[in-house]
Amino acid sequence: MFADVGRWYLGMKKAMNPKSILSKMMCLAAVFCGAATMQAQFNISQFEVDGYTVQVHGFASQGFALSNHNNYLTMDTSNGSARFTDGGINMSTKLTNKLRVGAQLYDREIGQLGGGRISLDWAYADYKFNDWLGVRAGKVKTALGLYNDTQDAEFLHTWALLPQSIYPTDLRSSLIAHVGVDLYGQIGMKKAGSVSYTAYGGRRADDKRNGYYFNTQDTGIPINSWVGTLGGVDVHWNTPVSGLMIGGSFLDEHDNVQGVDQALGATFFLPSNPNRITDGYVDYTLGKLHLNAEYRRNHTNYDFIIFGQSSYAVQSSSGFFASASYRLTKKIEVGAYNSRFYVDDPANPTDPYANHIYDQTVSFRYDLKNWWDVKVEGHFINGYGDIYSARGLYLRDNPTLKPTMDMLVVRTGWYF
Amino acid sequence: MKITRILTIAAVLIGTAALPAAEDLKVIANPSFAESTISADELKGVFLLTKTSLHDGTHVEPVLLKGGAVHSSFLKEYLGKTDSALETYYRSLVFTGKASMPKILASDADVEAYVAKTKGAIGYVSASSTDAGVKALEVK
Repeated sequence: MFADVGRWYLGMKKAMNPKSILSKMMCLAAVFCGAATMQAQFNISQFEVDGYTVQVHGFASQGFALSNHNNYLTMDTSNGSARFTDGGINMSTKLTNKLRVGAQLYDREIGQLGGGRISLDWAYADYKFNDWLGVRAGKVKTALGLYNDTQDAEFLHTWALLPQSIYPTDLRSSLIAHVGVDLYGQIGMKKAGSVSYTAYGGRRADDKRNGYYFNTQDTGIPINSWVGTLGGVDVHWNTPVSGLMIGGSFLDEHDNVQGVDQALGATFFLPSNPNRITDGYVDYTLGKLHLNAEYRRNHTNYDFIIFGQSSYAVQSSSGFFASASYRLTKKIEVGAYNSRFYVDDPANPTDPYANHIYDQTVSFRYDLKNWWDVKVEGHFINGYGDIYSARGLYLRDNPTLKPTMDMLVVRTGWYF
Repeated sequence: MKITRILTIAAVLIGTAALPAAEDLKVIANPSFAESTISADELKGVFLLTKTSLHDGTHVEPVLLKGGAVHSSFLKEYLGKTDSALETYYRSLVFTGKASMPKILASDADVEAYVAKTKGAIGYVSASSTDAGVKALEVK
């Protein structure tokens, strides 16, 4: 497959909009130059306002993906795609020793995802009563599993793409944040280590350039809105074994989805009662070796209401990954993961590739500077999942899905 | 096998010897600190930003060295993290809004000067540094 990289140049010319890429590269160059300057300030960019120190941090990434079959994450990967850009900037300040405020803006254009529209990523006030109790209120990143709240920050991870069985890039906005309140803290248990917790409640944010919208458009039941309330908890135990952390998360969501059944020409409603996610994870670091694994179960009970008639349905899936990475030198890190996604009852049970998506990935990361990384990654994917599972593969750009695909991903990122 | 084992042990010893031992650095605090000791758990919590106050209610703020052997030794001895792992950890907090990046200074002299003038500041410097204007803390 990798010999087909020769198609890359022709594919790039065909796939890219020159004006769009030029403006993107100018923005990235500006961020790059800014980051290079600000790095002279020992990784902190800050200014004073009325005696308050305001810190500014930001990031940007640019990627390229090329696959031998299928098109992935709404990118034209079969011809090579550089529509794989994202970035963010945040500001925060401490108003008192206990009170902090901050906000982050985020923008992404990954194929058709995100649409290059700047959105409010998070913005909240954080008051810490003491080490075991604090409260955050506003738009808050949702604590779920190992990486839900940090999935956008590619520079924090070995991988160019996180395991999509648990952290699907196309469905990011459905779980990334909520508008509400979090309680959090850490409780020391002396020789037994410590326990960190986050409990939260609020409303989910809607995003019309998210994978679920595209999937329902492609399958003839386009949704118009998806709102709901959610509550959950994440608890993890920092064990007395150095470097070992074990945790679990639970999320309960009550959604109201509205759309149109195009075949019947009628509006439908899809209240979930409830949508539940159960997640367990373990993380272990020993020197330069980092191991982790995570399992997630997603179970939704819902009513499909059309023409005043209601029918009950269940949709379930599960995901799992195990990963290992090793920092060979100060600049080089290598890793691999095995990611597995399963659909419980696919729409086409006779299709052996419809009930799963497996992804074996090997990754190489090079840190050119402590603010600039480059990753080269190979994905070896088997299966395409259910027509309704919305996991990276859409009918709009995959009229005929091939059962296996290999994909090269190259991604570079800057951060300060 | 024996030769391999000997070489492995030698490599570990050489690697370890390249870092200052924990006794070659000292933890310092602003003179306003009431006590002259700090537990290893509290020290770890301060530098991992999970503790913003000590058991006696004193507000604390960590100050780090930008790099060097003393910095690496402190991270290994008290935080159990490499420099890159600690940077990644801090950034995960900064980019989710959970914390601000702590103060990072270039030299022992800069750390001592900042700790001396900042109430609640805790840092670490080479054991041979002077204690002018700061309080040395014993880690228990």
